[in-house]
Amino acid sequence: MDPIIQIKDLTKRYGDLAAVDGITIDIKKGEIFAFLGPNGAGKTTTVEICEGIRKPTSGTVHIFGDGFTPRSSDIRERIGVLPQEYRSFERLTVRETLKYFQSFYKRSRDIDQIIKLMELEDKKNELYMTLSGGLKQRVGVAMALVNDPDLIFLDEPTTGLDPRARRGVWRAIKSLKGEGKTIFLTTHYMEEAEYLADRVAIINHGRIITEGSPDQLVARFGDGYTVTLHGCDVQRVASFVPDPDVYSGNTIRFKIEDPNTISSILSKISEVGLTFENMEVRRANLEEVFLNLTGETLEGDGAA
Amino acid sequence: MKPKAIFVDFMANIRMWYRSKGTVFWAIAFPVLLMLIFGAIYQGQDDITVNLYVQDMDGTETSEEFISSLGERLNIQRIPQDEDFHDYVSDNNIRAALVVTQGFEETVWRASAGENASIPLTLSLDPTRESVNGIIRGVVMGTMEGWNKDITGGWDVLEYNEESITAEEFKFIDFFMPGVIGITVMTSSIYGTIFRNTKYRKWGILRKLSTTPFTRWEYLISKMLFMTFISFVSTFLIILVGVLVWDIGVSINAYLFVIVTSAAFAFSGMGMLISRFVNEEETADSAAGAVTFPQMFLAGTFFPLEVMPGYLQSFARVLPLYYVNEGLRDAMIYENWSSAMINTSVIFIIAAVLFVIGAVVTRWTE
Repeated sequence: MDPIIQIKDLTKRYGDLAAVDGITIDIKKGEIFAFLGPNGAGKTTTVEICEGIRKPTSGTVHIFGDGFTPRSSDIRERIGVLPQEYRSFERLTVRETLKYFQSFYKRSRDIDQIIKLMELEDKKNELYMTLSGGLKQRVGVAMALVNDPDLIFLDEPTTGLDPRARRGVWRAIKSLKGEGKTIFLTTHYMEEAEYLADRVAIINHGRIITEGSPDQLVARFGDGYTVTLHGCDVQRVASFVPDPDVYSGNTIRFKIEDPNTISSILSKISEVGLTFENMEVRRANLEEVFLNLTGETLEGDGAA
Repeated sequence: MKPKAIFVDFMANIRMWYRSKGTVFWAIAFPVLLMLIFGAIYQGQDDITVNLYVQDMDGTETSEEFISSLGERLNIQRIPQDEDFHDYVSDNNIRAALVVTQGFEETVWRASAGENASIPLTLSLDPTRESVNGIIRGVVMGTMEGWNKDITGGWDVLEYNEESITAEEFKFIDFFMPGVIGITVMTSSIYGTIFRNTKYRKWGILRKLSTTPFTRWEYLISKMLFMTFISFVSTFLIILVGVLVWDIGVSINAYLFVIVTSAAFAFSGMGMLISRFVNEEETADSAAGAVTFPQMFLAGTFFPLEVMPGYLQSFARVLPLYYVNEGLRDAMIYENWSSAMINTSVIFIIAAVLFVIGAVVTRWTE
């Protein structure tokens, strides 16, 4: 697939601090690409350089081919943006807000269609200030669609939302993927990146640590599966499992690479008459990938 | 009762209070500012330079002595004897003038000799400047009283007369109304611009707009049209109340439109300039107050400049609101077209400069 954004050796410095430190990456047409990293990792700075809001210290960004840089006026017709922590005009309705932003573009998309796509039909005549956080974010995404853009930037679209509201925004973003839009997303929620992204780049301290599909990253850098047995005789069960980790009186936890090995371990346990009350099996996720690669958590333990 | 809980709550309030810059400004900086401004206005009251124009029609040593005694408290300017008093006053935009009537010396001598003689002295005042008039009236009447006492022991040899300097009878509200328009346009433009810019910056609206084909200059023009519209709505309402409730005679003319439009541009430009350096929504209030309040009190909105010490009068003449107020009074009330033209030109130039600077420093992007 052709790259729709080409970022090469991108650096942004603020005095001695390198907010973005030599990033090179391509974003392909039609994919949902996620920048995953803790707060202060350099996600927003990179995205805002691509959007033309900030100037890089060095390096290049080309959008829609070699001829266009982010500040080209033609680019603005073809991109849609939801800035980080965005709040819109409080005393305009949802429909008025979308009409307002649509008036700036030559290209346009039917407002009612956007409202329907973002599941905002019931709220279209409500003032922005009366909407919940989740609905406001959906209006933000809707605003990014008014010019029927080829490329959409969503900077932390679900930060601060409760899980239910977050899922509503995710549904809206997924529906855009179905329309063949290219989406450049930033997030510090690993579930969001896992659920939405075709490809994830993990970024920390201004540098990309690794990139690939969520499955590829988990397979390459995760710890396989974590099995937890509750309500068992941990001393005796420990001799049948690899690298046991006893963390309470009757609970034991261990890791396995291949999920098919679980059945043989359970058979051995039952053969000697041991029992357990229940079992949990959890696959490694991007949080663990990040932890394994950086020694830090996505919530920002030690991260800038 | 739990004293510890009360103490903790009290301390939390103190902490929250000093962390809110706007609240601190209103509680501490604002009253301090008021004290400084009014203190500066009134502390030099003895040194106030209030002009009184005098036409000495008697031209004698005694009349000169009388004028000199007035000069101990007032700044005396002369009206030549051969000039027509009313024409001179009108042509030179004079707001306070006294005629020492012919026969002054002779009357004083006759009264001193025990004759029953008296002579009227007429003080002409602009009724819209009542606070200054009070000073002038007090000095003139006090001086006359002193002379009467010296000459006859109290008999009114010098009789005090007063007339309005203008053909029309103006009231203080006539002076005040253009000032109300001036401060309304100033506060709505400065506060509106600062609040909008800081709020839109904080909410990401300016960043969002910068990613659309809508340009910064289109945005600025649209905002200026809005501020001008709001300024005219306010002006219209103030004039309406002035005419219907206070029976003010208002002249609607091109100067009014140019001054109000220029004022909206000048003060919005000032707002843009300030909001360039005010990042927090919370400090916008203090910043706007710091710019509007000194102008409100020092630019001749509530009282004429002459009641203030000379250095404050000089300072007032660099404030845009001064030219707005003076221009509006000239154009709407006094119909003094030459002065209106000068003030309108000054505020027009100030508006052009401030707006261009404001527009250049207003940034959407880094």
